[in-house]
Amino acid sequence: MSPDNEKLLVVENLATTFSTAGGPLPAVGGVSFELMANETIGVVGESGSGKTVLTRTIMGLQQRTNVNVTGSVLLDGHQMVGASEQEKRAVWGTEVAMIFQDPMTSLNPVMRVGKQIDEALRVRLGMSRADAKVRAIELLELVGIPSPEHRYQSYPGQLSGGMRQRVVIAIALACSPKLLLADEPTTGLDVTIQAQILNLLDDLKERLHMSVILVTHDLGVVATRTSRIIVMYAGRIVEIGSTREVFSAHRMPYTRALLESSPKVTNDPHTRLVTIPGRPPNLLKLSDGCSFAPRCSFATDQCHKERPELQDADEPGHAFACWNPLPATRKRTVKTT
Amino acid sequence: MSNFSQMIAEEEIALVEKPEKSEPLGLLFWLCVGWIGLNIIGAIFANVLPLQNPQFQDYNALNVGPSLHHLFGTDDLGRDLFARVVYGSRISLSVGAGSMLIGFGIGSPLGMLAAYRRGRFDTILTNLMYVFLAFPAIIATIAILSFWTPRSLIKIIVVIGVASIPLVYRVIRTATLNVATKDYIIAAKVQGATDRRILLRELLPNIAPIGISFLLIGVATVIALEGALAFLGLSVLPPTPSWGNMINESRTILQQNPWLAVFPSLAMCLFLLCLNFIGDRLRHHFDVTEVKL
Amino acid sequence: MLLGIVFIISVGSFYLIHLLPGNITTVIEGPGASPSNQAKLYKLLGLNKPLFQQYFIWISNVLRGNLGTSFISQTSVASTIRAALPIDLEMMFLSQVVAFATAIPLAMRSARKPDGWLDRIFSAGSFTLLSVPSFIVIVLLVLFVSVKLGVPHTGPSSYAPFNQDWIVNLESMGLPTIALAIGSFVVYFRVLRSDLIATLQEEFITMARSKGISQRRIMWRHAFRPSSVALLGTAGVNIGGLLAGGFIVQYLLNIPGLGYTLIQAINESDYLLVQGIVLVVSVGVVLINFIFDFVINIVDPRISRE
Repeated sequence: MSPDNEKLLVVENLATTFSTAGGPLPAVGGVSFELMANETIGVVGESGSGKTVLTRTIMGLQQRTNVNVTGSVLLDGHQMVGASEQEKRAVWGTEVAMIFQDPMTSLNPVMRVGKQIDEALRVRLGMSRADAKVRAIELLELVGIPSPEHRYQSYPGQLSGGMRQRVVIAIALACSPKLLLADEPTTGLDVTIQAQILNLLDDLKERLHMSVILVTHDLGVVATRTSRIIVMYAGRIVEIGSTREVFSAHRMPYTRALLESSPKVTNDPHTRLVTIPGRPPNLLKLSDGCSFAPRCSFATDQCHKERPELQDADEPGHAFACWNPLPATRKRTVKTT
Repeated sequence: MSNFSQMIAEEEIALVEKPEKSEPLGLLFWLCVGWIGLNIIGAIFANVLPLQNPQFQDYNALNVGPSLHHLFGTDDLGRDLFARVVYGSRISLSVGAGSMLIGFGIGSPLGMLAAYRRGRFDTILTNLMYVFLAFPAIIATIAILSFWTPRSLIKIIVVIGVASIPLVYRVIRTATLNVATKDYIIAAKVQGATDRRILLRELLPNIAPIGISFLLIGVATVIALEGALAFLGLSVLPPTPSWGNMINESRTILQQNPWLAVFPSLAMCLFLLCLNFIGDRLRHHFDVTEVKL
Repeated sequence: MLLGIVFIISVGSFYLIHLLPGNITTVIEGPGASPSNQAKLYKLLGLNKPLFQQYFIWISNVLRGNLGTSFISQTSVASTIRAALPIDLEMMFLSQVVAFATAIPLAMRSARKPDGWLDRIFSAGSFTLLSVPSFIVIVLLVLFVSVKLGVPHTGPSSYAPFNQDWIVNLESMGLPTIALAIGSFVVYFRVLRSDLIATLQEEFITMARSKGISQRRIMWRHAFRPSSVALLGTAGVNIGGLLAGGFIVQYLLNIPGLGYTLIQAINESDYLLVQGIVLVVSVGVVLINFIFDFVINIVDPRISRE
């Protein structure tokens, strides 16, 4: 167990570029951040902003030859960038594990649920068949699956979506990883199940002392569950800070647009949601300027020509990338006209 | 200002939806097309071309190897092998074309109609076809041809053609079903387009790529089947040359003159390889998912 | 469904003899026609009765194992078939063992690095072989192995029954086995390879990798089983082609299996024997297909659930 003030993950200038028929596609461009032990950080952004690629790059899951990764990912002392498959295998499961987006596709349909949990225990921890089974049933119980002995024998197709995601979580937890990457863990699920799974993750994180990177496009999800938030746009971090700062004192217009576009309970009935005009940019045709400029109502010539780097805000740890930031007021109320 | 950003945004949408670059067909594809064309011309104009008489028996040149005078050599009766291979292609090509004409002529309209109409018509027809699909076409073909004597080219074409109907029906029905449930077909129906128009103008062009590549592979399969039947002595009888019965005849004298087996085999394999290659390329070109034969 | 198919096969096989031109009794009995033989045939086929009654007379005979007696060889059709059938089964079994044993590991290797040099060679090679009809493969193989190389016990008429001399039997089965296995190998390799490549793109494979287990384990434990469903389905469909290939090998090498017997019977106009073989073979193929469907249901829990 690592002490709370220890850096578990240090990501520096991480860039992931796919070579495609249309030229190089920078899915993640120059991302740096740190994650403390036992910390939960949220990564938010629209679809296509590079969130998923970022988590997969941190884990080193890309294996295709047309991917180029530069920069550094130091995970509890292990350098993941450029590591061989064998080196990464030693880290996967025990140091870092991942929860995938869609539990309908992330479980092997022709393998019993129990076997899929057992496998990691037996191969990675060298447990005997009998011990692994006992532990697997414990894990199923831990993630809140009723009658785990019975479910151990089930095929994924016999379980509901929420159950399957619990199994996925059980598999991820099997070798007690220090870092859990949760890539939109609730998008594939019914709304009623979403909260259950998120609460389960919260609970497990506390009990097992893990760090969590929670990726989502839903700001409501990260608001109460994370200590810090990273806002991504076009493969880059455009704002990073404590959850409180990002919600109440954000400086980047994109963050505001994102906040305004998610519904809130405090809204009056029939309040119109604000949409962000335009589309996420084509990553093959990124301009030299700010990627958000074409959709930003504050954009100036400078924004179109020169890319803003992350700059520190007043609060320590809060940074944003914008030439014309919103004024640094406390307690910003989000407009919802 | 906002107008400007709107404009850029729209331009970028255009860039995101980049035109689909389809795979080029490539040189090998056109070489194959050329070879198939050459074979067809050879088969049609065999009497006109400067070939030796395939039945003429030159007793001074029995079992000679390839030479300038006899390009592929001669067989045990002194007949020119090159001429026989060219004439032999007539049988294979007419069986390929004729039986697929029957198979597609009957199987594809039925398949399209069944997929478009659905209902009881579809259920009955599809179940019937699946029953026929369950037993192997080759056994049925051998059985019918051995009883339906005397054998003739027409009978062979009819038997193979009819035997292929269930398979064609299944492929076309599945392909049509995929298209017929798309929104634009439903939209056309709602707008009051006639069934005839929907079938011919909307469905047919959409299933044509699948149909064509399947047709080519079907022709190849049928030619191989006729070859096997001829090899077993169940196709047109000698002295009429066909690739299959030439290989069959060579079997007893493989030791003395292996060329007799090699040249017709080569002719057949090259022809089938080209057909399969064209079919495969077209499938990739039109981005059609694998159709199992 | 199975019963329906078997019924249709039996009707088809029954009706075959009515395709014969001219007077059925004289054609079937050939030159040796005699009044007593004619009476036998009438009793077996019920020829003077309406067609549907004829069918019931015939099928009740068939169900009692009486397929008639050949008027050419004067032996019972059922016993001739019983003598020939084991040869076909042995050939099919051996060739399938060889085909699976080669296709599975090679497809696994190919799928691991699609478009790698190994995959390119195997894919191009299998595509070319796919275009070579099985009878040509067999002829060329015999030409090469037994004529050119002169390997003993590979040429025509070198077959010996298993219980007589099993060493010679296996030696003489070597060439047919390989010849038949090539055709199956090509199909199995291509189907398994493309299905594996698709399976390896699945999210559950990424999930399995993220557990930190070896690539070998991922290939065999996670990718092979879902893909083997496609392989089994193809193997079931392939039986018909395999059988036809077997006929051709037997014909070429004078191996007295069902195929050889069938062609012989066709050439000698022994129509009752042809009818019997067609019936037995068709029902056999349908049964084998049915068994394959059953096995697929066991392998793939997704299907049995629906």
